[in-house]
This record gives sequence, C-alpha cells and structure tokens, in this order.
Amino acid sequence: MKIALSKENILGLIALALFVVMTIIAPGFLSAENINNMMFQLPEFGLLALGMMVVIITGGIDLSITYTAALSGVSIAMMQSHGYPMMISILVGILIGLACGFMNGFIVTRIGVSPILVTLGTMILFEGVILSITKGNSISGFSDWYNLIGNGYYLGLIPLSMIIFIFFAVVTSVLLGKTYWGRCVYMIGSNSVASLFSGINTSRVILKVYLYASFLAAISAIIMTSRYNTAKVDLGSSYLLQSVAAAVLGGTEIQGGYGKVVGTVYAVMIFQILSNGLNLLEVPRTIVNVIMGAILIAVLVINFAKTKLGNKDRMQVTS
Amino acid sequence: MKKLKFFVSLLFLFGLLAGCVSQNSATSNKSANNGQASETKNDANGKLKIAVVPKLVGIPYFNAAEKGALQAGKDLGVDVIYTGPTEADAAQQVKIIEDLISQKVDVIAVAPNDPASLTPVLKKAKEQGIKVIDWDTPADQSIVELSIHQIDDEIYGRHIAKTLIEKIGTDKGEIAILTGGLSAANLNAWIDAAKKELEENYPGIKLVTDKIATDEKQQVAYQKTLDLIKSYPNLKGIMAFSTPAPLGAAQAIQEKGLQNKITVVGTALPKDSKPFLEDQSLDVAILWEPNKLGYLTVALAKDLVEGKKPQDGQNIDNVGKIEVKEDGKTVIMGPPTDFTAENAGNYDF
Repeated sequence: MKIALSKENILGLIALALFVVMTIIAPGFLSAENINNMMFQLPEFGLLALGMMVVIITGGIDLSITYTAALSGVSIAMMQSHGYPMMISILVGILIGLACGFMNGFIVTRIGVSPILVTLGTMILFEGVILSITKGNSISGFSDWYNLIGNGYYLGLIPLSMIIFIFFAVVTSVLLGKTYWGRCVYMIGSNSVASLFSGINTSRVILKVYLYASFLAAISAIIMTSRYNTAKVDLGSSYLLQSVAAAVLGGTEIQGGYGKVVGTVYAVMIFQILSNGLNLLEVPRTIVNVIMGAILIAVLVINFAKTKLGNKDRMQVTS
Repeated sequence: MKKLKFFVSLLFLFGLLAGCVSQNSATSNKSANNGQASETKNDANGKLKIAVVPKLVGIPYFNAAEKGALQAGKDLGVDVIYTGPTEADAAQQVKIIEDLISQKVDVIAVAPNDPASLTPVLKKAKEQGIKVIDWDTPADQSIVELSIHQIDDEIYGRHIAKTLIEKIGTDKGEIAILTGGLSAANLNAWIDAAKKELEENYPGIKLVTDKIATDEKQQVAYQKTLDLIKSYPNLKGIMAFSTPAPLGAAQAIQEKGLQNKITVVGTALPKDSKPFLEDQSLDVAILWEPNKLGYLTVALAKDLVEGKKPQDGQNIDNVGKIEVKEDGKTVIMGPPTDFTAENAGNYDF
C-alpha cells in the first residue's frame, strides 16, 4: 500500500523533523520558556500569511497587507491614547483595515488593474497616510487590558494570541473548504474567465477576498500593537515578503487555484522553528536569511519537480 | 443554518476566552526561579554571555561596533553574541531579544529602534535575572541599569559649531543647518547645542533659515544644498547632521566647485566621507568611533555582572576615560573625533 504524500504532509514532516533536530542541537529549545516564546512570536506572522494565502489563491497578491496592518494599528493606538475605550478603538481599527481592503478590492475588480500594481500603489499610499498622521513617531499608551491580548496567557497555559491564531486558521479553513465563497475562490484562481461564464459573480468574490485579507491583517495588527506596546509606520514591515514566502512554501500556487490553510500553517511553523533555533545556536542573522532562502528555493524546486513528474506519469497512463 | 452554527460556535469561543486571561503563565513562576538561579550560571566553558543587539546588522556603523564588541570579548574573556535584525524593524528586534532570553545570556545590551516597543520584552528579561543596558540610543530609562552614550549631546553640538566657525575663518557670515529628520531626538539635541554655541559666542553668524530636513537621504541633502546655494549666494557654511546629510551637501559643493567659498562640517563616517574630505568639499567630519562604543559596551556589561559600577573618570583600556553623570547610570564615552583628509584613511568604517 502506498501512503499518499501530499505537499502538505511533506511539509508537516519537514516541520516535525526540524523540531526534533533543533531539540537535539539547540540548547534550551525545548524549555517551557522557549516554547512559550515561540507561541508568542508565531500568531502575528501567521495571520498575515493566512491573509496573503487567500489572496494568492485567487491569483492575486496583496503588497499592502503590512501597511494595512500598520494603519489599523496606528488608528487603534491613536484612539486609545486619546482615551477612547478599548473595544471601540479595536472596532474602529478593524473597520479602517477593512476600508483598506475594500479599496484594494474595489480597484482590482471594478477598474480591473492587476493586483500587484494596485496593492503596490495602496502600499505607498497607506505608508504616506501613516507617515503624515504620525510624522514617523511611534504611538503608545495602551490600557493594561489591551496589553493582555498579545502578552497574556489563557488559563495560564497557552498565549491568548495563539488561540486567536488557531481560531482564525480554523475559520479560514472552513470558509475556504466548506462554503460557496471558498469554492468560488479556488475556481477563480484556476480560471477566472471560466468561472465568470459559469455564473459566478467573480468581482464580488474577489472583493470579499481582499476584505478578508485586510481583516486578518487588522487582527494581526491588534496582536502586534498589544505585544510591542506601540504602533509605528513600519510595524511588522519585514513580514511582507515573508508572508508571501510562507504562503508559497506552504504549497499555494502563485498563479492561483491551489492552497491550503494547513500548508501555510506548517510553513509558518517552519519559519518560526528555524528562526528561533538558529538564534539559539547563535547563527548570525544574515546567515539565517541565507538558510531560509535556500530552504524556500529547495522546497519550491521539489514541488515543481513533483508536479512535473506527476504530469508525465499521467500522460504515460493516458497515452 | 450554517451561518447560525458558525455564529454560535463563535459566541461559544468568545465565552471561553472571556474565562481567564492572565499576564503570567502557570510555568512562569518556576522559570523565573530558574532565571534567578542562572544569574551567575555561565555557558559550558564558564564564560559570561553578553548579548549586544544593534539597531540592524550589515551597515558600516554597526559593523564597526561589532568589531569592537567582539574584540572586547576576546580581550576580557567573555562570550559576546552580536546579533540584530536585518531590517530596522522593531518587531524583528523584539523577537531577537526574546530568543536571547531563552538562551539565558547574562547581559543584554540593546540599541533600540523604537524604545517603547522594547519595554515589555526588556521587563521580561529583567524578571528572568538578565541585566539590561542600552547603548547608542537610550531605551526606557526605568528598566535599564546602564545607559551608554557615545557622546555628550551638548559638547558634541557645540564642538560642531565651533569647528565650522574655525574652518570658515571669520565669525561673520551666513550659514545653514541640514538635519536628518525634524523629529529625531538626538539630532535635535545636537542642533540646539550648536545654536546655543553660535548665539553665545559668535553673534556675527546669521542662520539663513530654520533647520532643513533631508529625510536621512544623501540624495535629498544634495538637492536641498543646491537650493540653498541658489537662494543664498552669500552662504559661507553648512552644518549637516545625520550621517548621509554631510555627504549630500559635499556632493553639491563638489559639483558646483565651491570648495573654497562654502565650508561644510557634519556628522559622517570617515570611510564614506574620504573622497569629499580629500578635495575639501567636506571640511571636517565629526563623529565618535563606533568600534570603541562596542568595546565600551561589552567592558561595562562585564563590570556590571561582577558588581562594579562605572566611575566618573574611570579609564577603560582601548577606549579612554569615560564620564558618568550624577544618576550613576548614564555613561558618556568621551569627546568626539574629528575626521579630516589626513586621518580618514586610517579607519575602516
């Protein structure tokens, strides 16, 4: 009997193997503190990667995702430092995030500019807006309750932010796998023209995709601002290309049409384990980047070769 | 129906979440104890572990600091971990510090990108029995045990102003000030000191405009200098603050061939400014030596673990005499260094 090794399963095995290797070679990797440490570091990046993945499944990309997060983070910070209650400021932050997503979605669907150009433009736009609001300074002054979102433990065991991440990973997976909207997302990614002619309202589906991505970005912004106790123009800016990398490493087709939540989650875990383990091993950061890049390329090459071989097999069977 | 189910489960989840969220994990008490116990516990070969975290790695300034820090590690027999983010992103810096806490280092010395964002993680480090100090840029002063400054802002600003007047050769004339960003706290402190020096000792010097922002970019500084030359034909001198600004100003002077007419003095690294120093388009670059700053950080970190507080006027090998302010924790490395055409070639940063 042959066990089917899907892309995702292979990634899961790689993540597991890395975990075991790091446990053996990196001192203190398995300590309770370090595990907690990793669980605190993962959610903010994981949420952004999930958002990016959903957009990439439709064949698009959202380059403005980190600045969407920064803009909603900054608005939450501004509201709180001016004395508004926590819940209202969070709500406004999410709404502003959604407005950013709506802008992206609207221009992509109604005007028909390609996503990479639209989001490149809005990225610069959002950055400019934040800069003109904050003048480049960081804004802090959160309530203690707010700080618990990113720094607190649920039942004294699991970081609250981790639970939020797991929740949204499950939600995303259900939305993509079990709903009409989710099916449409995959279909549009495979062939948007065919989907349109099959009676799918493609522009509405895509609009919702950008809204959802910006929603996840806003949630990620809440966790980041709470964890770092500050909001600033470059909040999480280094996650932008990393989130693309995580989505692609997780098996998402960059042309669209395929991608699974579990794959992205594994990919995020691989990045997290590598980054943390290599730090513990005192590997210089520049080399860490080299290693991450090399792994990314290696996995992509393997995936590519696998699909190519698979196609060949199929061709031989049919011929 | 499906939507309803989804909604119910969502409500259920939030109900669960509302249950109990606390600042501390059940395991954190235990680990804090471990931290206490490991305060003097060192790595395998019995050396102290000192982590030095720059704003970012891979730029000449912080590379020079790294060299100094590692050299100090060798000289003083301590393990120095020099690691920082590859981008000047606060989030990355926080992660690196969290990982250093897991590594159970003895000291964390950090140059914050965004001081406020480091406060929670530095608190955590302190709770684990790790000594926290800042260098290059101040962090939250209620947390750090030592704050190592490269320079006394007042002396530095005044020195730059004085040098400019000296190089112009007369104490009458028009000058302008370029700066990196209008809100950069350290640059503003220097500029204020420089202005004070001019007001007090050189009343004949006239500032033609308010300080001009150059966005920390050489290209912008170059443009603004060209504008200045055009608008103020009698301009005699330019003071340029932030490391790219003097280079941009010098580039404009060089292009216009005004080396003998306009004097430029600024805060630049010697290696970058060497070509401009050589043809006098930049007259003097004034900065400190970042390698010494790295060295000093490690040396003082080691003393701190051994319970020795820095003393005013104390002599640190390879660095020189340091100054300690009244609060007992603000350390000033020393006077600024002038880089000129003659000595700029001797430095590799």
